[in-house]
Order: sequence, then structure tokens, then C-alpha cells
Amino acid sequence: MKFPGALITALVLHAAPVIAAEPASVATDAGKAAAVTANTVAPATSENARDVLARVRPAVIQIKGFFGANTAQAFHGTGFAVAEGGVFMTNYHVVAQQVQYPDKFRLEYRTPEGKTGKVSVVSVDVRHDLAVVRAVDHSPAPVKLVPAIPVKGERAYSVGFPLDVGLTITEGVSNGAVEDSFDPRIHYSGAINGGMSGGPALNATGHVIGVNVSGYRFEQLVSFLVPAEHAQALLRRSLTAPPDDGKRRNEVQTQMRGHAAALLGALKQGMPTQAVAGYRLPAKLAPFIDCNASGDPTPNQPVQVTRINCSAKAGLYVEQGLYSGDLRYSHFVLSTDKLDAWRFVHRLSELASATGAYGSRRHVGPFSCENRNLRLTGFDASVLVCVRSYRKLEGLYDFTVRVSSLNGVKRGFASHLDMFVWISMPA
Amino acid sequence: MTAEANAGYAVVEVMDTHERVIARERIALTADKRTFTVGRSMQADIIIGDAYCAPLHVAIEIMPEGTVRVSDLGTMNGVIVMHKRYVQGGLPGAAQALEVPEGRLSIGRTTLHVRTASELLAPEKPDRARSASPLRDPAWIAGIGALAGGIQLAYSGWLGAPRDLATTIATMLISGALAAGAWVAVWALLSRVMQGEWRWLRHAAIFLGVAAVYVAIDSALELGWFTLGLPQWSTRAAWIGVFALGAALYLHLLHASSLSRRRAAIIACIVLMGTGGLGHWLQARYQMRDVNYIATTVRIYPPLLRLRGPDTLANFFEDTNKLRDAADAKRKAMRSEDDEDSDHF
Repeated sequence: MKFPGALITALVLHAAPVIAAEPASVATDAGKAAAVTANTVAPATSENARDVLARVRPAVIQIKGFFGANTAQAFHGTGFAVAEGGVFMTNYHVVAQQVQYPDKFRLEYRTPEGKTGKVSVVSVDVRHDLAVVRAVDHSPAPVKLVPAIPVKGERAYSVGFPLDVGLTITEGVSNGAVEDSFDPRIHYSGAINGGMSGGPALNATGHVIGVNVSGYRFEQLVSFLVPAEHAQALLRRSLTAPPDDGKRRNEVQTQMRGHAAALLGALKQGMPTQAVAGYRLPAKLAPFIDCNASGDPTPNQPVQVTRINCSAKAGLYVEQGLYSGDLRYSHFVLSTDKLDAWRFVHRLSELASATGAYGSRRHVGPFSCENRNLRLTGFDASVLVCVRSYRKLEGLYDFTVRVSSLNGVKRGFASHLDMFVWISMPA
Repeated sequence: MTAEANAGYAVVEVMDTHERVIARERIALTADKRTFTVGRSMQADIIIGDAYCAPLHVAIEIMPEGTVRVSDLGTMNGVIVMHKRYVQGGLPGAAQALEVPEGRLSIGRTTLHVRTASELLAPEKPDRARSASPLRDPAWIAGIGALAGGIQLAYSGWLGAPRDLATTIATMLISGALAAGAWVAVWALLSRVMQGEWRWLRHAAIFLGVAAVYVAIDSALELGWFTLGLPQWSTRAAWIGVFALGAALYLHLLHASSLSRRRAAIIACIVLMGTGGLGHWLQARYQMRDVNYIATTVRIYPPLLRLRGPDTLANFFEDTNKLRDAADAKRKAMRSEDDEDSDHF
């Protein structure tokens, strides 16, 4: 993958800012027109899509979020009935603002026929980006969940309300589970656009194989689904032991902690190293970590630099402006045959300090740092550790480390490790 | 002395607010007339054109032994002796027989220096003579300071710019010289206004000397951290800078104005505490507002400069565990206004 983990931020199907600007009525009319066109110009394969949509249509709702008493929506997504009594499945990121700020946001549903009513959040699964919600006065027959990963090449459909243009079905194929991903995802080669989040992805028999969750915005039809087994697990959990209304945010906190623990646990299985210019440095610490190496091939540079960037791509959407839970590390190996010791280590110094953190003061406090010269295996290094704590989620910290070699005057390295998120350091 | 003063004369120097002598009056003294008056009117023995003075402001008496006494003749603004104002609310004669040390007093916006035959004169000042010690010679101090500052600028340019070194160093030296020149010019101008002398060399010596000491201490501490493992102090440069500013200010004030040592020290201290405290507060606020700011910077020097061995991992981890509490404390110190969305998102 050519793109670093930051791109995933763009994946979250959260079309809010653009869509919210349009008047609701206009958006709805456009949606109907689009739906009609799709039906009239249907090619042969879409006979199946028509059947699938007809079967799932009564169970699908659009979920809309409103800020305060406004009647213009703030964000919107899709949901589908999974149990009797108006129980619907959607994405956590569709309802996240309401979970985090229950006094500021309210949720409503809108059926494809235009019926509206209130929605409340029952339970969330931040790790898998799922949420169970309950709709008032709307209890369609639930659709069936199939807790198995479909094989590559199997026909699949995705249903939702993309960009607020009305109920839509897209057709594609499943490409099985995403390889080497920390969070389990099904790779769906079909269109998923903003607003379809939380909608059902179905097989040819009209059963749910997953929940629409994300897609690469500037690529071609590389989209992702949360496997149905996780939806089933959350449903079972929320029907047997739904959390108290007031504790939903604590639930998010606990789940973020669980995510961090799982991420660290996955790394603990040995510490593979790689030899880079005479140093043994941490390599791909787990199968799901993406590493790429680069360097400037220009000859006769004063300092030759080899860069290795690794990312766990394990970040989670918590709320607007807070996308967290990732692990990244980089190595910069420097060598010179032109510079003297003073100027060479000065170059190294420039990489030895910590800069470039990102985060909002709404979510985190300032950094506290400790810097020391330490003996590591085979060499001495300057180690800088900086920690900051999350403001509303106690016990969770951002953690950033810089390790720079001190011995070499012709070659040396600087390593950066950032766990910009939720790491509760072991005491 | 006494006999001379008895029947001799006194000289009164009339000075403006910058203590420039604008008139020098010779007053003849006899055994029975030892008093003269100062004021705006024609009746005064010494006539001064100061709107803040009464027509007859004071009577000054030269005592036979040479001491000077002043009497307020019923004025609104009174008399200032030794930086103290004596106002009698317009009652004539209330400040009678107030002794005037060194014969210096002020009325209105005018300073009078009453000189008698008994005054002690300072010895002749050497002109352009070199001081015995280079440490006290402004030319030496300025020269050494300029050299040290130039070396420091050239070194930092050399460190960071392996290519195009000459341009970088020349640019740094020129901008450094311009900044220093501007600073010295401001103080020289103040000296010219307040003291009537430019004192270029002295102000250059103060600026360059203090700058050299600042660079030496800061570099020594930074190098000391690396070579000896001294504790890191993230606001080191800022605090040393504040103290250097205070010291420079004190010395500049002393040489550019007529302030006493005590007053110059008080002003320097106030400015020092003000800038230091304000800077500290601003930095704390800045860090609260920019949660991505990391004050600790790491500088690495060649390995031959490391005199103290590395610390153990165990010690370090023990200290890093304290970071959690430090981070929690900083988080709790944040104010509710910090809840506002930052510009980073």
C-alpha cells in the first residue's frame, strides 16, 4: 500500500460537512430520482440486485444526527434491523458524536418511505466500529446475519443512503478477509460512499455478510466491511446485558483500553529485528504492520539517509477530530563519508528531538518528557520519552519515543516510535 | 578654608533637567550678607526662567563653615533635596534652615549646584588611558565579546550548513552585527541625551561582554549535560537569557543615565522578574494551548566528549514511570477554556 495510515482517516464514511449544507428536501428528491433511474436502466445481473434490494428494503433505515434543536442534519448514515422490537445495527462512527456528547446531539431515523422517529443508542463496539440502536415505533422484520467470511469472487451487494441521495444498492464481489489487517475486515470490490456507513452488505441470497464501514476515497472500488460475526456478537451482548445509559462513554474508554492491550499483545510475540547499515533495529513487529523503506538516490550527498517507516494501521475513530489507537515507528539510518564528526552528529541531533505530534487540546494534555543517555545492546543511545494523558479518558496516554545512537561519527541512526493513543503504560 | 568662605564668594550652577549647566552665577559673600534668593522675579538675586518656580522661590544661606542651607519662601512645589521633596503647603519659611548636602537642590524643573570654596574636588580623570587590566578595559571587553559572538555564529552556521558555508556564515555575521549595532546605538543615544556623551565603546563592551558570557554559560551547560550527564533543563536557555538581559540592562542604565546604582539595580530586577515571569507564564500557557509542543530538545555531540557513562535502563524506566503523574498533573492544570477546539483539527 502506497499510502500511510493517515489516509484511513479519509476512509471513515462520514459525509457530514458536505451533506449537511444541502436542504433536506432537495436531497431527498434527488435521491428518489437516482433510485428510479437505477431501476429502469438495469442490466441483466441486476435482476438479482433488484430482488436483494426488495428483500432488504423494509429493514433498512437512514440514521440522521442533529446538533441541538436544529432540523438541518449534522451527519447521517444507514442502519438495518437485526432483531425484533426495533433493534438496528449501524457503525459506531455514525452515532459517535451522540455517544460522546449526548446533551448536544440527537438521533432520528428515516425509512425509505419517509417515516421518521427517534433513535437511541443501546450498545457500541468501538474496536469493530459497530453500534446497536433502537428505533421508536418502527419494528420491521430483521434480516439474517451470516457469520462467515465469503470466499473471494462471490457476488455481493451493499445497501445504504450514499451522500443523502436516497436508498441505493451497489453491486460488486467479495474478496475475502483483508490480509494482514489488525482489525478484521472483508474486502468488498464495490462502491461504498459516505452515508452508506452502517448499511448491510449482502450475498446473493439476501443475507447479511457484513456491515459497510469504509473505502479508499481516491482509489477504485476498494471498500471494507465489518464481518457479520462481530455484529452478531455485539447484538447478543446488547440484548443480554445492555450497559446503563450513563456508562456508554465508559464503555468506549474500556474498549479503547482493550484495543491498546490487544495491539501490544500482538506485538509481544518476539521482537524481530533487521540489519540496517550495521545496526539491528526493530523490523516488522507483527504481520499486520506495514513497513516501507526509502532513500534519496542522489550521489555525493553529505549525509546518506535510509528511512524505514512502519505503521500498524490500527487507528480507531473515537469522535470527530479524534482518530486514535495507532502505532507508528520509523528508523533513519545516516552515514557519511564527507562530513566530520561534529557536523555529522549535528545532523543526527536534528532527528533526535520529538516534533510533529498531532492532537487537539480538547482531547489531550501537554507532554512531559525525560531524556537520558543509555546503554542498549551493542551501543549507547540518547533516549527521549514523552507522555501526555487523555483528558476525558483517564488512564490512557499518548506515548512518543526517540532513540538516537551516540557512538558513531561516520554512521548512526535515529528511531521514532509514536503510539498516538490510548496506551496505558504498565506501571 | 573657613576664613576664605567667610568673606569670599560662592558659585551657583543652574542646570536643566538633563543636568546641563545653563548658567553659572557668582555670588559675593560678606560677613553680614551670606544669603541670596532664587526665583523668577526681578527681585531674586538669581533669576531663572522656570515656569514651575515661584517669583521668589528659595533663600539660600552659605554658613561660615561652608555648609549650605535652604529656606522655602512659601511655594507650591517646594524644594527637592537628596531626591526628597519638601512641600510646606505654601507656608513661608517652613523649610527654613534645611541643610543641603553637596550643595545640590532642585526647584521646579531646575537643579542648583551651590559651590563654595570649601568643596572637595575629585582628582583629574585620566583621558584615554588604558586600564591596567584588560578585564576592565571596554575596548578589550568589546573586542573579546565580538570575537566570541562571531565564533559562536560562525560555528552554528558551520554545523548546520555543509554546503554554501561562506554565504551562510557571512549572512549570520552581518545580521548579528546589525542587531548588536542597533542595540548599542539605542543605548548610546540615551547616553547622549542623558549624559551628553555617546559612550559607544562602553555600551558595545556591555552588550558584547554580556552576550559572550551568556553564550559561554549556555554552551557549557548544554555540553555539560552531554559530557557529564547533568540534569536536563528545558527552559535553560530562556532563563540564562533573562538573567543576561537583566545584567546588561543594569550596566547600560548605569552608564547611560544618571540613575544611582540602587535604582538601576531595582529597574533591572523589575524588568528581569517581569520578563522572566511573563515568559514562564507565556510558555506554560503556550504549552497548554499547543499540546503537540515538546520543550525538551536533544543535542548530540561527538562521542569523544562523553565523559560519563550511560545510565542503566532500569533507572531510566523508573523515571519514565513518573512521567505519567507529571502528564496527569499537566492535564489537570488545563483550564476549561482549553476545551475549545484547537487549530490543529
